[in-house]
Amino acid sequence: MSNEFSRRNFLQLGAVTAGALAVGQMLPPAVARAAEAAGMLNSSGDGYVPSMCEMCVWRCGLLARVKDGRVVKLEGNPEHPHSRGHLCVRGQSGLFNTYDPDRVLNPLIRVGKRGEGRFRKASWDEALDYTASRMLQIKETYGPEAMVFSSTHNLSQVQFENLLYAFGSPNYGTQRSLCFNAMIVANMMTYGMEEPERIYDEDLQYIILTGRNLMEAISTSETGELSAAIGRGVKVIYLDPRFTKTAAKATEWLPIKPGTDLAFHLALLHVIIGEGLYNHRFVDSYTVGFDELAAEVEQYTPEWAAPLTEIDADTIRRIAREFAAAAPHALAHNGWRTSNFINSFQTQRAITILNALVGNWNVTMRAAGGEGSSALGSIPQPPYPRISAQRLDHVPARFPVVPLKLGVFQELRDSILTGDPYQAHGWFISRQNPVMSLPDRAKTLQAFEMMDFIVTVDIIANDTAWFSDVILPEASYLERYDPLLPVGDRAYLRQPVIEPQGEAKSALWIYKQLGERLGLGDYFQYEDEEDYINQQLAPLGVTVDDIRSKGYVDLPPGEEIGFEWNTPSGKIELFSDTLARVGFSGVPVWDAPPEPPEGQFYLLTGKVGQATQFGTQNNQMLHKYADEPRLWFNDTVAEDRGLADGDWVEVISEVGKAHIRLRVTPAIRPDCVYLTPGYGHLSKGLTTAFGLGASDSALHVTYTDPISGSQALSQTFVTVRKV
Amino acid sequence: MLQKLLHELRTMPKFLYVTAALTLLGLSVGLYRMIVGLGPTTNLSKAFPWGVWISFDLATVALSGGAFTLAALVYVLQFEDLHSATRPTVLAGLLGYSSVMVILLFDLGRWDRFYNVFLHPNVSSALLEVSWCITAYSLILIYELSPVLLEKTRFKWLLPTIKKYTVPIVIIGVTLSTMHQSSLGTMFIIMSPRLHPLWSSMLLPVFFLVSSLASGISLVIAGASVSYWLFGHSLKIKTMAKLSWFIPWLLAFYVVIKFGELVITGEWDLLFSSGGYSLLFWGEIIFGALIPIGMFAFRQVRFSRVASLIGALFVMGGVILNRFDVTWFSIAPVQGETYTPHWMEIAILVGVAAGLVTVYSLVARYLPVYEETDTFKRNTPLPRPLEEAPAAGD
Amino acid sequence: MAHQVNNPRYGFLIDASYCIDCRSCMVACSVENEVPMDSTRIWIKETGITGKYPDLKRFTAPFHCMHCKDPSCVSACTVSALTRSEDGIVNYDQDLCIGCRYCIYACPFGVPNYEWDEPLPLVVKCDMCYARLAEGQQPACAATCPTGAIQFGKYEDMLAEAHRKISEQPDKYVQHVYGEEENGGTATLYISPVPFEELGFPIAGETSPAYSNRLVTEGTPMVAGMMLVGLSGAYLTIKHIKEEAAREREEAEKEKLAQAAVEEN
Ligand SMILES: Nc1nc2c(c(=O)[nH]1)N[C@H]1C(S)=C(S)[C@@H](COP(=O)(O)OP(=O)(O)OC[C@H]3O[C@@H](n4cnc5c(=O)[nH]c(N)nc54)[C@H](O)[C@@H]3O)O[C@H]1N2
Ligand SMILES: Nc1nc2c(c(=O)[nH]1)N[C@H]1C(S)=C(S)[C@@H](COP(=O)(O)OP(=O)(O)OC[C@H]3O[C@@H](n4cnc5c(=O)[nH]c(N)nc54)[C@H](O)[C@@H]3O)O[C@H]1N2
Ligand code: SF4
Ligand code: SF4
Ligand code: SF4
Ligand code: SF4
Ligand code: SF4
Ligand SMILES: [Mo]
Repeated sequence: MSNEFSRRNFLQLGAVTAGALAVGQMLPPAVARAAEAAGMLNSSGDGYVPSMCEMCVWRCGLLARVKDGRVVKLEGNPEHPHSRGHLCVRGQSGLFNTYDPDRVLNPLIRVGKRGEGRFRKASWDEALDYTASRMLQIKETYGPEAMVFSSTHNLSQVQFENLLYAFGSPNYGTQRSLCFNAMIVANMMTYGMEEPERIYDEDLQYIILTGRNLMEAISTSETGELSAAIGRGVKVIYLDPRFTKTAAKATEWLPIKPGTDLAFHLALLHVIIGEGLYNHRFVDSYTVGFDELAAEVEQYTPEWAAPLTEIDADTIRRIAREFAAAAPHALAHNGWRTSNFINSFQTQRAITILNALVGNWNVTMRAAGGEGSSALGSIPQPPYPRISAQRLDHVPARFPVVPLKLGVFQELRDSILTGDPYQAHGWFISRQNPVMSLPDRAKTLQAFEMMDFIVTVDIIANDTAWFSDVILPEASYLERYDPLLPVGDRAYLRQPVIEPQGEAKSALWIYKQLGERLGLGDYFQYEDEEDYINQQLAPLGVTVDDIRSKGYVDLPPGEEIGFEWNTPSGKIELFSDTLARVGFSGVPVWDAPPEPPEGQFYLLTGKVGQATQFGTQNNQMLHKYADEPRLWFNDTVAEDRGLADGDWVEVISEVGKAHIRLRVTPAIRPDCVYLTPGYGHLSKGLTTAFGLGASDSALHVTYTDPISGSQALSQTFVTVRKV
Repeated sequence: MLQKLLHELRTMPKFLYVTAALTLLGLSVGLYRMIVGLGPTTNLSKAFPWGVWISFDLATVALSGGAFTLAALVYVLQFEDLHSATRPTVLAGLLGYSSVMVILLFDLGRWDRFYNVFLHPNVSSALLEVSWCITAYSLILIYELSPVLLEKTRFKWLLPTIKKYTVPIVIIGVTLSTMHQSSLGTMFIIMSPRLHPLWSSMLLPVFFLVSSLASGISLVIAGASVSYWLFGHSLKIKTMAKLSWFIPWLLAFYVVIKFGELVITGEWDLLFSSGGYSLLFWGEIIFGALIPIGMFAFRQVRFSRVASLIGALFVMGGVILNRFDVTWFSIAPVQGETYTPHWMEIAILVGVAAGLVTVYSLVARYLPVYEETDTFKRNTPLPRPLEEAPAAGD
Repeated sequence: MAHQVNNPRYGFLIDASYCIDCRSCMVACSVENEVPMDSTRIWIKETGITGKYPDLKRFTAPFHCMHCKDPSCVSACTVSALTRSEDGIVNYDQDLCIGCRYCIYACPFGVPNYEWDEPLPLVVKCDMCYARLAEGQQPACAATCPTGAIQFGKYEDMLAEAHRKISEQPDKYVQHVYGEEENGGTATLYISPVPFEELGFPIAGETSPAYSNRLVTEGTPMVAGMMLVGLSGAYLTIKHIKEEAAREREEAEKEKLAQAAVEEN
């Protein structure tokens, strides 16, 4: 835990804004003026401003308490369905991201060697001109496809994509293939939608969680819903090779052998079909392909699955029966970052099908729209240029069912390194830390080496920014506007709570400025952020000033989606013709994953409550309350090998090494080790995080599920030895 | 002048150089503690917010109990033949209390506002009682000692007035002393959940009071014996014998109530079943009480300087151990967290203790502390600096 | 017989079965109250992982000031920096504290913390977020807890809810409301699926040591008065006896002299 931040400098939080405040005494800054006009702040500048959390992708609603032009506390907004008055530990700590002393507050241009970390401050004009000229140079010399764009899900992503399409590059990397491609593609194949919504109502009786560690990989409202369900006595079966905090709350923890969730679920399907426990009426009316499915799962008996999963056959059979008996008040949770093995897509398919068989549609699951809302206005745009170059990640050529918007990010690097089918020369990154989030960090850095120009939009000098040529500082989520976000029947507003510190600017502003300098001004037809939101709000007859104090606007009710699915057949597809036509099995089939050779372990990853991915380890408040990152190691195995808690070990994989301390614990399977992700940063610009823990990304070997394009994170095998 | 000073320094007992150096060192570490706080300089923690300093303070106060015991004997109960022992004892007491206050100042997190003790008292706090009584009592000790300081100065004319009020002042002093000696025990009543049951008791105030009487007398005896060998002046052996006569009675009473309480509360089985705790407890009782009771019961012991010193050391050791037990060793660890002092804690402590010895020696050397005592002539003539050296006031 | 103290107005009901050790409550508290980075007003108690793979268990619960009805810390504090309000909130006045740390030792629950690394440190202790209560808000920890493990409300309601829960799910909960009797009763109440000792909760008696403490400290002035009288009496009596004796001796002497004179004559 860090001591650097004593109470005394706690009180100086946001001292950076002091300058702005002094000016403000003569003329209140825009943010304060707007907040005061909306009645959110009193005349002495105190009050609450509703906005949205951005400490993770769940985007809870928040109420920021403002005092003297500073945010002093964040509260969960009771009016937002994702927070319902609560914020998770990361959300609570959010102001320490905004007030991180390591914030980058000026555009920076690299002066030293790449990765050396020497930058000079530049004006926005200079930084943007320079960036645009380098991008244009690449475009003119090698074509627009030589620029790679990548960004992780965020609210201004539409404008990032706008820039990318207008620029004319097909190369787009998102976090999705690192995260939940398997789940999304499986849902699309089965239900024709990315992710149905889960319903935790009073009647819910039974949940199967396949590695969805909701008590640590937190989504505030869903974590709360699961807790409440457990409190009511709902039975929760949890599959995970680790005894996580979710396992501690579950009714039953099954330490399944990694990569065999597919076998477990196939056996459930076998029992439910074989014993006729499925919902016949539902299956007959709303699904296609039952016979093909039944024929396939015939062979997958619990006795077959038992030695694979190391869960005994009786347990599997019992769970299948219990699940069916509880149906339709039963839910097989899809999981989220389900990218564990190259068979993860099939696992996800089996889960979606399990839900369909027991007919829980509109009971524990229902249709969920995407992110857009047809009720909101859109910003006028000329048509995009036609893109003819193929994608470096081989979508769709090699991954025919992976949507272009998802892509297969991790595969990009091989193309960059081989220059096949063509050489990429530039990389534009926003709100993403691929140096850490992609597997095989050495390979990512090698790919960076091939780049003539890298530009990163971030709020701190993360590892990716550290290796970039230009860093463009975005205003933090408490300092900026973003496009409206529809959730349910409302659209929520992110509005600045404080004036941006230093020179930081919103992404909406940055993309537009850059667009104009790239000669793409026509694609950015908004004056400023407020104008952008006003254009969105125009069809509703309100302006941003009208919705400020509530923080959201009601949308006209959409039509109820009953029992229709956006699949080719219009039904739930137990057998998918789409899959079959491109050469994959139309129904889930067993696909044995590789196992570690003697003396090696599965390397597991998984979130901890007090960090998000690779971007919050520098948050001093989270650091204060986080556990020391360590390598979990089974206690019995440790005893056999003469290893003790706290020992330093070297973890070696095919692609990398890590030096880390052991946590000897009974809470993990003997054939697995687990390393806290998100640590082992390379950037010395992260003064709190630098030097902590070790990077699992440096160890991960790149494996990709051939169907969904998901990376397979548990498929890396390591040896562990004492140092 | 300078020569005289050099001569003085040269004739000074050599150990005083060492103690003076240690004092200086301790005070520098203390200064550092004031600048950087308690965290970096001590091993105190939430589980053990008090450490060796408090143990030292409690032991010192107990040993300084000689001053009020003697004052009560001499002035109130009018054992006039003990009179010659009061001055050195009062001096030792005053120095003891001063060192306690110095340590407390190092110990107080907010030493900068120690005065809140007087401005915002909380009357139900045992610690408040302790601090008020100790302060008031120190003033009284100064009063009692003032003749020593004034005798050779031009404020001599004050002496008769001082003398006139001595008895009422002493009575107040004895009361205050009784109060704080016992309140020091009271302090640990509220901590009873943290103390080992062998020490945790509602009778702690009584235990503390009685043991401070015994250890106070022992300190007088030990002090006189040491002074005998170091400075060549001391108490008459008869006076010493008279004093030590009280010790076995006090200790016997102590042992009886101590065991009585354990029997009544039904905790006596802990005497044998508490491992290290049992050992510590028996250590206190055997060495601090039973052995000295046995010794001082004999007239020969009471009339032998060497034997008396040994007996007194046993009593003092027992009481010191008791105070360390109550304040430290018997305190239950919280989630396994234990306490061992930081070297800086020890350094400060050693510094203050060394300061105590230094000042006592200097005062005993230059001021008429043993003036009323029999001056015993040793073969080697010891310097009597008072006659030759300029007195402090000149 | 315990000291008569009013029930607190507000209370917490903390249900260990809900706590997921996410530490959101801790951050909320630290930010709300600007707690120094090396300290905290609230922390997590836990059983640790118990059992043998794969039959494992783990329980956690947040722990902060119990807001005792008869608080030891208040009784102990040298300078009345700690006080209990009418509402039953045990509060700390940082401007009075002298840093004696007696409260830390006196608290049977190990609650008060200290800013060990400050040159001029203060005690760190939960104050029930009374400033938030005054604004009609829940305490920061209770408000943010994503699982509802920390409930806050009227003391009577919390106590009733605690009993309702443990009696409705007797298989799930230990049949004891921690804090109902402990240390004379506290405003913070707990229910748990595991015995409280296993969570590392102190086993506290039903009477606050503050009570025994007061018995002695409040009697002190009287004892002191009695002593003054007693000592003065003793002094005067002995003096009188001694003077009498001296006079008698003198008179005897005189008599002797007179006698001798007579005889001589
Ligand atoms: N605190 C916190 N919360 C977060 C995030 C965060 O970074 N921090 N990130 C958010 C995001 S982007 C995501 S995608 C979600 C992810 O949330 P989750 O889907 O819950 O993902 P993880 O925590 O990565 O992994 C879950 C578990 O999978 C286990 N596992 C590994 N291999 C296997 C296997 O073969 N089979 C089974 N059954 N289990 C396996 C791991 O042990 C781990 O405990 O969390 C979201 N919430
Ligand atoms: N080993 C391992 N690898 C993993 C995972 C794992 O569990 N273990 N999880 C996978 C999953 S589920 C995911 S979703 C991906 C995530 O992968 P990434 O999206 O690459 O990782 P993040 O850490 O979320 O990156 C967020 C970046 O955005 C920056 N940032 C934060 N706020 C802002 C802002 O307001 N504006 C801008 N411009 N930048 C901001 C942060 O500083 C950080 O650099 O990683 C995947 N990779
Ligand atoms: S889950 Fe936590 S980090 Fe994510 S948006 Fe909600 S409060 Fe923020
Ligand atoms: S916020 Fe709630 S669930 Fe999280 S640690 Fe605190 S009490 Fe437990
Ligand atoms: S729990 Fe401790 S600190 Fe809190 S009121 Fe009770 S005695 Fe005082
Ligand atoms: S440390 Fe402060 S609050 Fe605690 S008892 Fe001492 S003066 Fe009172
Ligand atoms: S009530 Fe307030 S002060 Fe007390 S622990 Fe909760 S947040 Fe902290
Ligand atoms: Mo993710």
